[in-house]
Amino acid sequence: MNFAIETVDLNVYYGKNHVIKDVNLQIPEKGIFALMGPSGCGKSTMLRTFNRILELKEDTRVEGEVRLFGKNVYSPEVDPIEVRRQVGMVFQYPNPFPHMTIYENVAIGLKLNGLVKSKEDLDERVEWALKKAALWDEVKDRLNDYPRNLSGGQKQRLVIARALAMKPKILLMDEPTANIDPVGTAKIEELLLELKEDYTIVLVTHLPAQAARASDYVGFLYLGELIEAGPTRKVFESPEHELTEKYITGALG
Amino acid sequence: MEVMRKLDVFDIVSFPVILVIFLLFAGMLFVFFKNALPALEHFGIDLYIKNIWQAASVPQKEVYGIAAALWGSFYTSLIAILISLPISAAFSVFIVDYAPRGLKNTLAILSDVMAGLPTIIYGIWGAFILVPFLRHWVMEPLYRYFSFIPFIHYPPVGGYSYFSAGVLLAIMITPFVSAIIREAYQMIPFTYREAAYAVGATKFEATRILLGYIKPAMVSGIILGFGRAVGETIAVSLVIGNTFNLTYKLFAPGYTISSLIANQFGNAFLYTYMTSTLFAAGLALFAIGLTVNIIGIHMLRRWEKNVQV
Amino acid sequence: MFRFNPNRKAVEKGFLFTIGLLTVVAVLPLFYILYTVTLKGLPVILKRGTIFFTGTFSEGGIGPAIAGTFLLTFLSSLIGVPLALMVGMYSYENPRSVLGRWTKALLEIMMEFPTILVGIFVMAVLVIPMGTYSAMAGAFALVIILLPYVAVYTHEAMRGIPFTYKEAGYALGLTRIKVLFRILAPMAKRGVLTGVLIGIAKAAGETAPLLFTAGGLYESYPTSITKPVGTIPLLIYQLIQSPSPQDHATAWGASLVLMVIFIAVFIPLRMSLKEVKL
Repeated sequence: MNFAIETVDLNVYYGKNHVIKDVNLQIPEKGIFALMGPSGCGKSTMLRTFNRILELKEDTRVEGEVRLFGKNVYSPEVDPIEVRRQVGMVFQYPNPFPHMTIYENVAIGLKLNGLVKSKEDLDERVEWALKKAALWDEVKDRLNDYPRNLSGGQKQRLVIARALAMKPKILLMDEPTANIDPVGTAKIEELLLELKEDYTIVLVTHLPAQAARASDYVGFLYLGELIEAGPTRKVFESPEHELTEKYITGALG
Repeated sequence: MEVMRKLDVFDIVSFPVILVIFLLFAGMLFVFFKNALPALEHFGIDLYIKNIWQAASVPQKEVYGIAAALWGSFYTSLIAILISLPISAAFSVFIVDYAPRGLKNTLAILSDVMAGLPTIIYGIWGAFILVPFLRHWVMEPLYRYFSFIPFIHYPPVGGYSYFSAGVLLAIMITPFVSAIIREAYQMIPFTYREAAYAVGATKFEATRILLGYIKPAMVSGIILGFGRAVGETIAVSLVIGNTFNLTYKLFAPGYTISSLIANQFGNAFLYTYMTSTLFAAGLALFAIGLTVNIIGIHMLRRWEKNVQV
Repeated sequence: MFRFNPNRKAVEKGFLFTIGLLTVVAVLPLFYILYTVTLKGLPVILKRGTIFFTGTFSEGGIGPAIAGTFLLTFLSSLIGVPLALMVGMYSYENPRSVLGRWTKALLEIMMEFPTILVGIFVMAVLVIPMGTYSAMAGAFALVIILLPYVAVYTHEAMRGIPFTYKEAGYALGLTRIKVLFRILAPMAKRGVLTGVLIGIAKAAGETAPLLFTAGGLYESYPTSITKPVGTIPLLIYQLIQSPSPQDHATAWGASLVLMVIFIAVFIPLRMSLKEVKL
């Protein structure tokens, strides 16, 4: 079977701290893979190895392999910038660029990467991305406004549109609903269910309930180790590991 | 253990710029050394410890010793700090503890305007207004009634003197010194204030305790203020009288290193050793500036770190 | 139990009085300066009219000095600002490496450095080899003056941007240059712009670094960057040392012009900010 993402003996160190320990994880193509675990277990760190954005932080070291569609992104000849163009990312704090309009926020990746030929192409792609992110109807009349007046959920969908505009195959989502109100959260989860038809989505969450609701596959990370992974229903109905059971029943922080 | 990152365009563009900046600094040091060398070799240590300025068309008759200017730089800056410190401290305390909100901001802005005002404005005001004012209202009365005190025992003829330079420098560095003290005073954690008043201290006593707490920041303010004063050229050269005069007498005219350079450099090329001597003077100023600023900045950073933890 | 101590009360009053008095003493000189410069400068300008701003020195004007100030400020910003932005970005990108920390330290030292030394350094490396004072030499000296201000402000402004925006930029597959200059720098533009303006204000008001570099030119407008040029501060400095009351009058008028330019740039800038480094 071909995997969208596969890690082989992945280890990550922050200085002397060993934060990801020998993780071997397979994420199938298409669908939502939830990476769950209590705060500080290393989920966000691991997510950031998939597009090599972890190296923005100083003093981090990665050992082992991360394969996207079979290709190791950590092999020396790979340019991390190329990797990131094919992987979209959404963050815990909804971070559309505050000094750019809604339109510019979606267009910026395409523009700066030189991926569109004409203004018409760009307009078209921006509209497409905003529609895909289920935001078009809400913002089509104010594309030239700044994002500061959008709600948290709208901001987050704008960030999703910004990522989608680049036409990635993979979407990395680092607790995208952590700072969003319940209504906004429901909308985003709904959107994810639509997007999973076309994309491989990795959803980091510290809420077992969200993983159960939204995902097709799930991996449970605890103190940097992958405890268990598999189809969501199987893991939630009959967990193999005692820690997993404790976590999904809420007995673990 | 850091990951070796591959060089990218940013590295390739920025590194040469950084290199240029460091080369510029090294170049400055080199230029000062190289140009100071002839005078240093010719006069030896006497250059810095003797007070003599004998320009002559024959190189053999030229003799220079800049002790008076070194002393002047130190003395005027010391006077400036002694005057400025209590004012700066009081100004900071007033802004932080007593000024109402609106006034607080206004005072801070005024202080910053003073810090940024072109020094030539201080110079013209100092030369034409401050010096006559000080001579008439401070120096002459003091000389008349207290000339038995050694410091004051010098007739304030023109008014251009160490004292005038010190006062003008005090005015110029006060916004700078007070900005450092103010920032530190503001950073004192609130619990310390509470604690001071909780033990029954009056405002006066509490302020004394709190100022004691920020002593390291005050010391760095003093050092950095001193550095500013030593380096100031234009305003000082207009009020100090530009006379070689190695004395502690406040009302006597004098020189500072920077005013010496400003005053003599223009025609120094007429003589064999004068330019080199002035570069040697510059080298001394370079060394003083570097030492003072490194110590001052280092102390301030250390204090800031300690408070934040 | 709560015994009233009259002595303590008196000390308290004396303390508050002293604090207030010293505060007045701290800012009084500024008002005295503003008052004097206006009082002495305004009549000169009013009497001579527009010729004061446009005429040459013998016509009773400071036109060439004003032009020279703008020329030197323009030239030094043209060279200095891009360099400084680069240096500020570098120290922001390398906060922990040895060279990055040294760069930051060097900038802070340069900010506090006696400016007269910059002047005679440039004289030694540019004026003497060229055999003449020049606008170029003056501009070079001013580059060294304004660079640390612009760089330090850039560094601080960039440091204030939350890390998540940096991540967002890289996550779009952008190169470092693009993330820094197209995404983050525009976000920090207020801080960066402040640094640029303060650097320029400093450069425009400096006298000491120009004493032995720019030379002076007051009888005609500057035409070439390889020829001497005058500036307002330099002119004032030279006029103060002249014995002629006529020259003193011109100096006061020029001072008023300089002060008004400074205040017009600085006050709006300062009002829109919390704090500045000078």
